[in-house]
Amino acid sequence: MTPGATPLRIAVIATVYRYRSHAQHFTDRFLVGYPRAGRWHRPAIRVASLYVDQRPEGDESTDRAREFGLEIYPSIAEALRCGGDRLGVDGVLIMAEHGEYARNELGQILYPRYEFFHECVRLFEADGRAVPVYNDKHLSYSFEKAAQMVSDSRRLGFPFLAGSSLPVTWRLPDVELPLGCEIESALMVGVGGSDAMDYHALEAMQCMVERRRGGETGVRAVQLIDGEEVWRAGDEGRWSRELLEAALSRSDTLLGLTEQDGRTQDLLGSGELQRLVSRPAAYFIEYADGLTATLLMLDGAVRDFCFAARLKGSPDPVSTQFFLTPGPNVTYSACLVAKIEEMLTSGRAPYPVERTLLVSGMLESCLLSRFHGHERRLTPHLGVQYQPPNEPQHARD
Amino acid sequence: MKIAAIATIYHKYSHAQHIVDRFLEGYGWNGRHHRPPMELASLYVEQCGENDLSRDRAARFPSMQIVPTIADALTLGGSRLAVDGVLLIGEHGKYPTNEKGQHLYPRYEYFRQIVSVFRTTGQTCPVFNDKHLSWRWEWAREMYDLAREMGFAFMAGSSLPVTWRTPSVEMPLGARVREALCVGYGGVDSYDFHALETLQCMVERREGGETGVRWLQAYRGEAFWQAHHERLWSRALFEAALSRSHTLTPSRAGFNHVFPTLEEMKQLVKDPIAYQYEHGDGLLSTMILLNGLVQDFNFAAHLDDSREEPFSTQMYLPMPPARTTLANFFSPLVNNIEQMFLTGRPTYPVERTLLTTGLVAAGVESLHQGQRRVATPHLEISYQPTPESTFWRT
Repeated sequence: MTPGATPLRIAVIATVYRYRSHAQHFTDRFLVGYPRAGRWHRPAIRVASLYVDQRPEGDESTDRAREFGLEIYPSIAEALRCGGDRLGVDGVLIMAEHGEYARNELGQILYPRYEFFHECVRLFEADGRAVPVYNDKHLSYSFEKAAQMVSDSRRLGFPFLAGSSLPVTWRLPDVELPLGCEIESALMVGVGGSDAMDYHALEAMQCMVERRRGGETGVRAVQLIDGEEVWRAGDEGRWSRELLEAALSRSDTLLGLTEQDGRTQDLLGSGELQRLVSRPAAYFIEYADGLTATLLMLDGAVRDFCFAARLKGSPDPVSTQFFLTPGPNVTYSACLVAKIEEMLTSGRAPYPVERTLLVSGMLESCLLSRFHGHERRLTPHLGVQYQPPNEPQHARD
Repeated sequence: MKIAAIATIYHKYSHAQHIVDRFLEGYGWNGRHHRPPMELASLYVEQCGENDLSRDRAARFPSMQIVPTIADALTLGGSRLAVDGVLLIGEHGKYPTNEKGQHLYPRYEYFRQIVSVFRTTGQTCPVFNDKHLSWRWEWAREMYDLAREMGFAFMAGSSLPVTWRTPSVEMPLGARVREALCVGYGGVDSYDFHALETLQCMVERREGGETGVRWLQAYRGEAFWQAHHERLWSRALFEAALSRSHTLTPSRAGFNHVFPTLEEMKQLVKDPIAYQYEHGDGLLSTMILLNGLVQDFNFAAHLDDSREEPFSTQMYLPMPPARTTLANFFSPLVNNIEQMFLTGRPTYPVERTLLTTGLVAAGVESLHQGQRRVATPHLEISYQPTPESTFWRT
């Protein structure tokens, strides 16, 4: 920071602020700094105010407020106004992940992201000024609400960034799909529960395929199948065994016999995969331009997130692992905080929020597919078109 | 093509398991499950405990014979050399330690037996020696000299030079390096070697190539903090290296990632160790082990170029069992070994490992002599790096 310059002030609107919650990971980086490009970077940004929806045992917000001189307010509006009568911050972080919230019949956790965002928008309108907003993870469990959020940000003209850390973390290997490439097929392997980890995996897949020729065209249909059907779909060629081999070849966490005696394995070729994964799920995403991409959730086989795609004109698939660096540092969240900081300081979101909008919608539609007997669902509402950023956005320096 | 493996012990997560399994089972490489185009024909294992896996592997891979002697492994019982490559894996197993704390792994002894077969048969083949050459400098030098004299390809070393880097960067060839430093973890005569190889695979690319090392001095405990305080090594490089770590122990309860103060570091690191050494051309390198603070290997250097910040990266080890199940940093190591077996040419110079072997021994010696500076005229080892990068990028 230039000496004498006034630091930017931000408000954090969180569901819960406990050790290893998203709010703690992200907000702390603004308070104590984080590693960026080989140095411990201390942002010229001050967390001015905090709203925390739930304060269970282990709440750290009071300690942070005391130590770092930030104010906790009882409402979002007051946090944004820092107790005054006008918007008093230069940016807002909505950290609505973790905390006790109900699930709906689709299995989605009803985190109040839209509701928090809506409060911010109401205040922006009332005060006649809007500031950049970062929304952690997907926009809302409901595409309708998510679309409203994006539309509000456009209407009021404020920068809006959202999403997962996976698109911006390190990749092993460090590859990016060439802008404008022709993708013949794409496949992502993920693990973990719904609707937390399938969201991360879909967003990782999306940040890769959006770089295809013509950019993103939206999604016309989705289907989620699970169990034995997933293997049958592979036999029928609905997903590519070649791409699954490529994705698995990037994994550092093969389970089963590897856990038993350390051996490397050709999980797909040996047939062990089917033995290890008792409840596979396949998320088929049919894009408007004809591309089909598949997310395979393979709990029991691996513990990491890997991607593979076949590009036209390339003899071999491209593949990589989205490197979820170890806890408790989870430096991948530092990669995302660097992007948030970039938006706050430049006034421009480094990549389009439409990515997260589309992923929010495809996830909801996949879960609806599962709810309605795994039917293929047409998704005319998901005609979300956008262009990817020219420059790679993942950690590279 | 047939190869032989000579190992001290073969159990889960031993080096022999990591390396030999990759030849037997294949491994993920370039987006495929890659199967090395060679047959592991024979395996000699010196120690077979209850957790031995060699018999399981031999049962599942009948083309691999377990043999009672090193000579048999190389000749497959005949009178001629019957393999086209040898893996010498003398890491893990129960071996005595000497008064300086060195593990007396029998790498030199195995190597001598291999060479003896080469002499008897009048034939040679490429040899890969896992980790450093020998705990005893004179023996290490003899191994190197024998390989040169008999003209067989010889490669050795750690996985650190060949594993992933975050970021995926290489030291520019011919860079002017002013000072270099590595912060790692682990013990003396153990992971110090990995940290030294981390440093060496980078600094050897500097202008003029490697010129050898004149002296080394170890710092441990209070002397380490004193040296740190006196800035005997660059504070900027130290901080850059820590900023590359993915495993910085939180120094404060309730925080998952904070940069520790010096006092906090002293609380966390009970036994800090540094080996500082000067190369023949004046470059100062410092290898630091901070057990309690990090669990990865991070490199930083001041270069004379346009960049303002130090050049830095992490040599990333997907290390089981805490983070992964597979020690996949062995995959690029095995891939480099395969290339040597196939082409008869090492993919990087064994002189690197000859030098780091000497540095480990010198570090141990300096610690043993009360952290005295030890002159290392025997480490006047000059060599040139391979221009192309050999770390994992694809």
